[in-house]
Amino acid sequence: MIETIAASRCPRCGEMVAPPATYCPRHPVRMVPARLPGVGEVVSFTTLHSPPEGFKSPLHLALVELEGGARFFCHGSQTRGLKVGATVAIEAIDDVYYFSHLGALDRARLFWRRAGRAGDRVNAMTRSVVKRMWKGRSSG
Amino acid sequence: MTDVWVAGAGMTRIGRRNEPLQDLMAEAALNALAAAGLEQPDAVVVATMNPEEFVGDGNFASSVASYLGLAEVPAMRVETATSSGAAAFYAGFVQIAAGQRRTVLVVGGEKMTHLPTPKVSELIGRSIDAHERSYGATMPALAGLITRALIARQGLTLREMAQVSVKNHANGARNPCAHFREPVTLDEVLNSRMVADPLRLLHCCPISDGAAAVVLTAERAAVRVAGIGQGTDTLAVRHRHDLVSFRATQAAAHEAFAMAGFGPERVDFAELHDAFAPFELIALEDIGLVPPGKAGHVTLDGETALDGRLPINPSGGLKARGHPLAATGIAQIVECVWQLTGQAEGRQLGGRVALAHSIGGLATNNWITLLEGA
Repeated sequence: MIETIAASRCPRCGEMVAPPATYCPRHPVRMVPARLPGVGEVVSFTTLHSPPEGFKSPLHLALVELEGGARFFCHGSQTRGLKVGATVAIEAIDDVYYFSHLGALDRARLFWRRAGRAGDRVNAMTRSVVKRMWKGRSSG
Repeated sequence: MTDVWVAGAGMTRIGRRNEPLQDLMAEAALNALAAAGLEQPDAVVVATMNPEEFVGDGNFASSVASYLGLAEVPAMRVETATSSGAAAFYAGFVQIAAGQRRTVLVVGGEKMTHLPTPKVSELIGRSIDAHERSYGATMPALAGLITRALIARQGLTLREMAQVSVKNHANGARNPCAHFREPVTLDEVLNSRMVADPLRLLHCCPISDGAAAVVLTAERAAVRVAGIGQGTDTLAVRHRHDLVSFRATQAAAHEAFAMAGFGPERVDFAELHDAFAPFELIALEDIGLVPPGKAGHVTLDGETALDGRLPINPSGGLKARGHPLAATGIAQIVECVWQLTGQAEGRQLGGRVALAHSIGGLATNNWITLLEGA
């Protein structure tokens, strides 16, 4: 079981975009709701050393082409060892999407960093259990 | 359609400037008017990307026209993000081509260096799709993504990209108007501070102040506007299917060459939008100036140097001449006009056909302008 990501499809040309959009970028036509699996191929990635205000440095950014077609922006805990064309999973933590190509340890680190704030701790812990369950299933 | 000619060109020195933006634009405009031997044009087109936030002034066409003593001349402002200057040139061109005006002053400028760098980046970044911005995407970040894709998919090397900066700094050193007049070495570029991996500081253009202007006329003059093309693409980079070429450049080139009635093989030299060094390599191939897959080789081989077969960015480009946003599209045309009329002292080229390429936003609104010397 993999997380699904909210997307939109153009009824005219079939173009998929994520997150959802009102109109197709290439036709003045209203898009219809769709969902895409949170798995895809890395189109490219970068590490920003002077990110804009509100982001921690270094900021790891990737553009991922989801299975089903839409390209999607996400953050990552690091990009060491990552390659263009690699398959990654994408999951939301506090409404921000992260790619993970790395081992359980990195995922745990990322999780604990995000869960560090006391207010989020309980929510995040609940989510963590869910994530571990799907991870167990998909790798098993 | 009436033929349109460039009667005069002028610009300020680009770099860190203390004068108000209106003053810089007046300096460029008066230089262009003097070169054209004209006191008052029939119309004014003003290009500024974001004077409301950079300098706190709005209604900027009237602001510049009034400051210049041209309050009673019809003026309007044109904006297509970082290619606003090229768009303003087009807006002036069509007024004459349509037979409505005989002379139009086109002036573009921007002033940014008085603000802290993070603030400037934020303001420039507002031309990026809001969702992508919410993930921290800035212009360098998106350029970093494109650069890595170029390396992975096209086999371009960091050395080839760095050579663009080396070449453009060498050209800038010969241009009295350039922001940077010091050469840089390949090693300096390759070892400069990492900005958006794998893009480094010396792959990126600076933040600059400055202005540039041209006078367009229906009367025969030394340089004819042979073709203009505009190309566009999705605001969101994630909505594109290709990172390693710009649809907006390809479409603009197609339209410009169709208007001119000749192809890229006729171009003798070009000013290309090298806001990030790899963009010059993408443009070379998108425009058709070199065959697909050859941009890196021709650059390393010196073919695009001042003494090469196809000189690119004789002014120093955005990298060394500098990038005062809405001034840039016009500054490129000023350089082409100076080159075509033998006024580019210290870096003078031969040739009759020049091309200027301007990118708006992250290649959402691009322009190609073709100029032909007499």
